[in-house]
Order: sequence, then structure tokens, then C-alpha cells
Amino acid sequence: MTDSFTANLPVYVIIAPLFVAIVLPTFARLKRLVQGLVLLVGVLGVAGTGYLAYMVLSKEGFPMIYSMGGWPAPWGIELVVGNLGAFFLLVVSGVSLPVALFSRDNLTVEVGGKERVARFYVFYLLLVGALSGMALTHDLFNVYVLVEVATLSCCALVSSRKHPRAAEAAFNYLILATLGSALVMGGIGFIYMITGHLNMGFASQEINRIWQHNPHVVWLAFSFMLVGFGVKSALFPLHIWLPDAHSTAPSPASAILSGLAVKGYMICLLKVLYNVFGHSLMQEFAVHRIMVLAGTIAILAGSISAMTQDDLKRRLAFSTVAQVGYIILGFGIVNTKGLAGTLFYLASHAVIKSLLFLSAGSIIAVTGKKKVSELAGIGRKMPITMATFTIASLSLIGIPLFSGFIGKWHLLVGSMEAGNFLPTAVIIIGSVLCAAYLLPVIRVAYFESAPQEDWKDPGFSQKLALIVLAAATVILGVVPGPFLELATRAATDLLMR
Amino acid sequence: MNLLANKLIINYPYFAAVILFMIGALTVLTRSNLFKKLLGINIMESAIFLLFVAGGNIRGGASPILDNTHADAVYINPLPSALMLTGIVVSVSVTAFALALIIRLYKSYGTTDARQIALMRDEVTRK
Amino acid sequence: MLYLILALFSGVIGGLVVTLIPRTRNQLRNFIVILFAVSSAIFSWKVAFLVFSGESVRIAGSFGGLGWSIDPDPLGAVFGLIASTLWVFTAIYSFGYMAQKHNQNTYYTFFLVSLSMTLGVAFSGNLVALYLFYELLTFATYPLVIHERSSEAVQAGSKYILYSLSGAGAILIGIVLTYMFAGRLDFADGPILAGSMRPGLGWLLLLFFAGFGVKAAIMPLHRWLPKAMVAPTPVSALLHAVAVVYSGVYGIVRVVYSVFGHELTAQLSVNSILLWIVAFSILAGIIIAMRQDVLKRRLAYQTISHLSYILLGALTLQPWGLAGAIMHMISYSMLKITLFFCAGIISEQTGQTRVSKMSGVGWAMPGTMAVFSGATLGMIGMLPLNAFWGKYYLMKGSVAGGKWPLALVLIGSGILNAVCFIPVIVNTFQGERSALKAKQGGSVALMLVPTGFLVIAALVVGLLPGIVWPGVEAVVNWFF
Repeated sequence: MTDSFTANLPVYVIIAPLFVAIVLPTFARLKRLVQGLVLLVGVLGVAGTGYLAYMVLSKEGFPMIYSMGGWPAPWGIELVVGNLGAFFLLVVSGVSLPVALFSRDNLTVEVGGKERVARFYVFYLLLVGALSGMALTHDLFNVYVLVEVATLSCCALVSSRKHPRAAEAAFNYLILATLGSALVMGGIGFIYMITGHLNMGFASQEINRIWQHNPHVVWLAFSFMLVGFGVKSALFPLHIWLPDAHSTAPSPASAILSGLAVKGYMICLLKVLYNVFGHSLMQEFAVHRIMVLAGTIAILAGSISAMTQDDLKRRLAFSTVAQVGYIILGFGIVNTKGLAGTLFYLASHAVIKSLLFLSAGSIIAVTGKKKVSELAGIGRKMPITMATFTIASLSLIGIPLFSGFIGKWHLLVGSMEAGNFLPTAVIIIGSVLCAAYLLPVIRVAYFESAPQEDWKDPGFSQKLALIVLAAATVILGVVPGPFLELATRAATDLLMR
Repeated sequence: MNLLANKLIINYPYFAAVILFMIGALTVLTRSNLFKKLLGINIMESAIFLLFVAGGNIRGGASPILDNTHADAVYINPLPSALMLTGIVVSVSVTAFALALIIRLYKSYGTTDARQIALMRDEVTRK
Repeated sequence: MLYLILALFSGVIGGLVVTLIPRTRNQLRNFIVILFAVSSAIFSWKVAFLVFSGESVRIAGSFGGLGWSIDPDPLGAVFGLIASTLWVFTAIYSFGYMAQKHNQNTYYTFFLVSLSMTLGVAFSGNLVALYLFYELLTFATYPLVIHERSSEAVQAGSKYILYSLSGAGAILIGIVLTYMFAGRLDFADGPILAGSMRPGLGWLLLLFFAGFGVKAAIMPLHRWLPKAMVAPTPVSALLHAVAVVYSGVYGIVRVVYSVFGHELTAQLSVNSILLWIVAFSILAGIIIAMRQDVLKRRLAYQTISHLSYILLGALTLQPWGLAGAIMHMISYSMLKITLFFCAGIISEQTGQTRVSKMSGVGWAMPGTMAVFSGATLGMIGMLPLNAFWGKYYLMKGSVAGGKWPLALVLIGSGILNAVCFIPVIVNTFQGERSALKAKQGGSVALMLVPTGFLVIAALVVGLLPGIVWPGVEAVVNWFF
């Protein structure tokens, strides 16, 4: 019994949110029940992924390969619970649970109406399920389907507020994201045509054997994948949809979009690049150089745009553009340290950015102020909200004792081992620019006198969510042990092929 | 030159797919009417479907229904067609969702033109 | 080890306690502040004596696979002593200076937290801990810089933090490179890079120099310092003349002697370039100071000049040079803080911040001006005061290193110091006796007492340099 449960756990982790998402509309009017179910799914998700990660770290026999429906690999679809999968699953469940907790009381303010709350949760769960699937899947077409599920639920989350701007942002997002998925599907088509496989492992063997016969097709596949996932993960010149979408969405949605959804696409890109093409082919085609360059531009452009925004959520959204640059840049650093640092940075940014969006959201919900310049004295009125915001900012800037520093340190070591000084310099410049756009918020909030208004910290569940996330970034910064270990092993796995 | 023309003619489905994809992409990026954008997306996706299905096709192959009378028949590859079935489903749901959003936009702005919406944005938002 | 923890954390705990005290309870708060500042000083002395007597006081741990250690050696102990002792005097001065000002609780909180961070920089036993406290010091002092809350203060604060973070970024790259070259970051087992000559080390040294040089206000990187003078005077005196800028100077000395080691540095051609950059800073700083009319800005540029004295001594790579650097570190801090205290008293009492409008101030405040004159003479390098000895050893070091032009630079800068500050004193004793602002009683005495005490201490050290010599000797023996 327990054995079969453990053996099927990877599927349960993916199926549970999807299943609940489908049954949720049937009792949309029972708000308490809906919220309870969502939280239950979140808790079970954390427990399940935690157990999987523990197994991956400590047991023999991993990576565990799960064949869907009992069909073995070239014909059936595989789920692989490896180091990378367990790592990203942990990030997804760890961040989505506090977001769900936060949204318990916040959502009625943000989207109104009971049915709207239920609808929000449907898409939230679909997104979580799709992201968990992305973590584990080992099949290219499965990647496409999950990407589409995630994209549609992201668009639905963006449009969940009853505001014309939200619909507009969602439409723009939908059009560009679909363009991106079309490109991704095209890329998958090219890979399938020259290899005849959709399973990543088989496709990888085949493509490394025959790429010299069709270098142009491989080039096409590379570029379709890069641009396709680039649009979806808001890589700099393709980011135009992100600031509108992430700033008009309800705050819990912004948190999960900026914190997790974007990361899911990047994990897919990582899998395609390293598990399908493999690092030797990447270097053969100089794709890693392109990624470093694209990341560099994204960091600089994103940070500078963020500095000019007065709207708090837009500033955070542009900061996401810059941070995506860090991760794309890190994917181009082809060595264990660099990749491990990038993965850790990805996780840490997932925590930090959702924390930033949640605390910004609770400030906006309580005060109605959206602009940075109007936040004078918030720090004294809403001490917990602003304290968590400060912790997240310091972590994003890369101060030691917070998670951002560990990621940056390994990124720096990796880029120097690769002998590449451009990323090294850009990483540092990026963190100074990050200070330039985040510290003014903190200064205004703490060191300017507050207006005479009765503003208070939000309710218990929201405070708890903020504190959990803040604690997570501190813990990851002080004792990252097992988490960093998982990231390092994942990086080693990626470089094995 | 002759060789290239030959290749193009032999591989005409791929050629058609590329042209369709470009038409679609151009429509999405240059048209400001929301419906036309959506149509562009659909054309693009059709192009990809064509690419896949053409990739699975074998000239003169039989449809892959196994019967024992033609033991040595050549069958076309059914997998890409099956995959595109999924692709079409996704495409339909994207279209439906986009249409729903267009209706919402039309209700609040009274137009389906992206440029006019951008111009009216501040007025409507302030209300 | 307990002493070390107490010395380090007194400030942070005190800062937290201060936030809990209601705003109106000034007496109670002042008592708490002085209590924690004194306790931190006492424990720092304890730690320093343990270190001088050769015992190892060490805490270590690791985060994220990076080891950190708090492990003071004589150099760190000397820096810690200077900082924690002067903090007590500045606290007393602040009670007088800040008495009528706003936001005092915030001020004292970060005042105490900065003490902990400075001690952390001083006592850190490897580069990771040094970097950690160096960064935290930036953030802990930022609220003090923008304490006035005016737009000028906010700009100065932004400039300060961006300069510091950029410098810290350069340091971080340097640390990563060091880690890759040597595989370890602890100072305790001799210079980290010793004996591993390889191409690119010169650039590494330059990177560290530029990184720490931002806080040490070396000439092209000094722009934030004069701006930061909008802070309240105790902050300018303690942080921007001593603690924060010393953390930069200390970092460079650390890098030269503990990361590279003096033997390796001597082989790098970049060393002589650094020496001349520093010499340029000495002269250019004091020359620009002459053209400043605002007294605090004049003092700020003099700071830039004198910080480079210390670096010059360290970069001569001679035992005498290092002795001079440490000696100057001790004596300069006492004198400079005195000068700033006097400037603060003058601006509080008369409202004048500009030198050109200070005529007659001397007649009105003879005590303050007497102290000011004493400290000025010390800064020039006159004999009965302590700075003479530092300068003397510095010259000895530069001559011993075969770089006699540097001795000329030192002499020239002494003369320029005189040209720069003697007129200020003379000016204050000209014209009519200027009027004083009415001021609540008690606060002036609170400001004047620590100021006077410091200048007397400077005189005592000048007459009996043997008092501080064991510390200097311990540092020199440690590195040579």
C-alpha cells in the first residue's frame, strides 16, 4: 500500500491540484469550503514534494522514472523525479502555499464576489498543477501542453479583476504568449522531425548523433525555442506584456505570476537546452553566448526601467524583467557552480518576488495608494508588512545572510570559472541598480512622516503568509544546506549529457 | 538554382507552412483590430499544424489502420496527427478565451481597435 | 569568546532596547545608550587585551557552504578599541547636541547598531565576515546620514549608498577571485595568497583597492564624503571621520597584509601606482580643503587627505611604515573627532557654519576655540601632540622603503594643513565678539566635556607615546 502510494506520488502531486480545480466550480458559492480545499491541496503539495525531495536526496534508486499508464519510454510519456524536478516542485509548492494563505482574506478586496473568488482559485490550481507538471515531465509534447495550460490560466488570473485595464493586459498577454507557444511548438516540431522522438532522453541521444547532417534544422529549433520561451518568460525585448499584466493582476496573482509562472517557462527552457540539446551542442552553436548577452541586456534595461516607475507594482514588475535576465544569463554559464547558483537564484527570486508583490498588495489593499511617492510613513503604520518588504529587498540586492546572496555568490564563482567577466560585472552592476530602485521605497516608507490615517497591518492569515516567506528567504540565506545540495546535484545532472 | 527550386517544389507543404506562419505573425504584429490579431494567431497555429502533419506524412503511405491483408504496406506516421488534435483543442480554447476578452473590452471601451483603446485608456480608467 | 559576543552584540541589543522606549523618556533612553556603549567598550578592551596577550578568541561557522569567522588579530583589536572608545565619547556629545532635535530614538538606535557593525568589521576573521559587516555597516549608517530628512540629505544618502554598494560589489568580485585562487578566505593562517604569484594579481589588488577605497574616500572615489556632511555633527565626527571611513582603510590594510601579504605586494608593480594615487589624495585633499568655506566640508576634505596618510604608511610595506599607519590611525581619530565636535559646538551656539562668517566667535567661545586650536596643531604634526609620532614613523617608513619623495609629500601636507586651518583660528579671534544663541542649560557642557577630554588625551599620548606603543608593536610583529 505505502509502496504503491510512494511509487505514484509524482502523479498525485500533479493531478491533485488539477482535479480539485475541475471540481471546484460545483460548489463555488461555499467560499469557506473552496478556501479550505485550496489550502488543503497546498499543504498536501508541500508535504508530498517535501517527501519526494527527501527521497531524492537520501535514497538510492533516484532519479525515479515513472511511465504514465505503464507504457515504457519511447512510446509512453515519462515523468522523471530527478534532482531538478524535486527542486522545482519544492519551489512551486513552497511558494504557492503562502500565496494561497495570503489570498484567503485579500481576494474579496481584490476581485470581489464569491464566484469570482472561486474562479480565481480554479485558475490558480490549474497553474500550480501545470507548473508541477513542468518540473517532472520528460516529454517534449507534454511540455507544450503544460505550457499552454499555464499560459491560459495565467491570462485568466490577469483578467480576474473587474477592470478594463485588466482585460486589456490579459488580451495583450494572451496574443504574445500564444505567439510564443506557436514558436515553442514549432521548435518541438523541428526536433521531432529530425530525431523522431518526443521523449527528451531519446531525442537527446538522437540529436547528438545526427546534428551534423541537419545543422540548419538544429539552428531553427534552437532559435524557435529561445524566442518562444523568451516571450513567455519575459526576456528583455520580448517583455512588453509583463509590466501591464503583472501590475494589473490582483496581488496574489501577481505574486504567483512573477514568482512562479515565469520560472516554470524558464525551467522548461533549461530542460530543452540541457536535456535535449545538451551542453556540448549548445556550445557548438554558441547559444550560451547568446544567452549571456541577452541576460546582460535584460538586467541593465530592466533595472533602469524599474528606476523610472513610480507605480509600486510596475516597479516590481520591471524588477522581474531584470531578474529574469539574471537567470537567463546564468543558464548561459555552462558549469556546475554557475548552474547551481542560477537554480538557487531562481528559487530565491521566486520567494522574494512573491513576498514583494504580496506586501505591496497588502499596502495597496489597506491604503489604496499605488505610487511609491505616496507611501510616506507606511513603515510605522504597517510594521510587519514593511519589515517583510525590507527583508525581501535586502535579499534581492544580495546582502549576506539572505538567500539572494548565496545565489549571487555561486553565480559569480561560476561565471569566473568560465573565465567570462562580462556576467561578473553585470551581476554586480545589477545589484547596485536593484538597490537604486528598491531602497527609495524603504526610505520613503520609514523615514518620512506618516499622514494621520488609521492604517494597520492586514489580517492574521496575510501576516502569517508574509512572515513565512520572509523566514524562508532568511533560512535559505543562512542554512541553505539541503536546498543548495539539491541545486548542485541538479546542475551536475544537467551537465552529464 | 534548379536544385533549390526542386527542393522547394518537393517540400511544398513545409514551404506553405512557412508562408502561412509569416502571414499570421505579420497580422498579429501589425493589425490593430483585435479580431484580426486573433485571426493571425489562428493562422500561425494552423501553419504549425501543417508543419507537424506534413512531417508525419509519407508519400503513398496508407492510413495507419492495421489489417492483415496488406502485411508489408507503408503506413504514414499517425503520431503527429494525433498530437495536432491536442494542438487544435488548445487553439480552440485560446480562441474562445480571447473572444471573451474582446467582448469585455468592447463593453468597456465600445471599440475593438487596440489603438483607440490605448487612447481611451486613461479616460475610462478614471471613471 | 563570551567577551567577544558581548562586545559585538551590545550595540545591536542596545539598539533594539532603544526602539522599545517611549519617545518622551529621554533620560531613560540616554542611560540605556550610554550603558550599552560603555559595555561594548569594556568588552572590546577585554577582547583586545586577550588578543595582545596572544590568546585566540574565535567564533566560526558557515552559511551556504561559506565559512565565516570572527577572529580578531592585533590590527582588528586596535581598530575595535579606537571605535568602541570613541563611541562612548560621541554618545555623551550626542546627548548635548541632539537634545533639541527630532527623531532621537531612530538616531540612537542606528547609532548603536552601527557600533556593532563597525566592531564586526574590526573583529572579522575572514573575508566573508568582513564583507558581511561591511555591507551591513552601510545600511546601518544610512538612516544617520539622512537624519535631517531634507532633500539635500536624501540626495547625500542616495549617493552614499550607491557609492558604497558599488564598492562592495568590487570587493565581492575580489573575494570570489581570491577564493578561486587560494580556496580559503581566513586571515588566521598567514596571508591568503602568499607565494602564489600569478598574472592578474595586480588587477585583483586594484579591484580591492577601488572597492574599499570608496569608503576610505581615496581621491577619485571621495565624492560622497563631503555630501554626507549634512548629517548631524556627531555622525559626521564619528562615522565620516572615523568609523565608516576607517572600515575602508582597515579593509585595504587587511587586503595588503592578510590577503596578499607584504612580500607578495612588494612584487606587484601596481603597488607603486597605488602609493602615488594615495600621495595625490594627501595633497589634493588638503588643497581642495583650503577652498571650502563651510567648516564641516573643509574638515571633510582634510579627512580625505589624512586617511591617505594611513594608507601610505601601510603601502610602504615597511615595519616602520605600518607602525606609522597604526599610530596615525589612533592619533588622527582622536584629533579629528575633536575638530568636528568643535565645529558642531560652534554651529549650535552661534548658528555659523561658514568660516568667513566666524569672526568674533573665538572671543565668545574661548574654551571651544582653545580645544580647536590644540587639535589643529596636532593635525599639522606639532610635537607635544600625538599625531607627530605617527607622521615621524611614516616618514621613517617611506625613507626606509627607498621612497624619500613620499616624506616630502608628508612634510608638504603638514605645511598645507597649517595654511588651511591656522587662518580659521585667527579669523575667529578678529572683530567683535559674536552673539550666542540662547540655549537650554546642560547641553553645552555635555558637548564640551568629551571634546576637551579627547584633546587632553591626545596631549598625553603625544607626551608619552609608550602608552599606545604595545598595541602598535603587536600589529607590526603580527605582520612582519
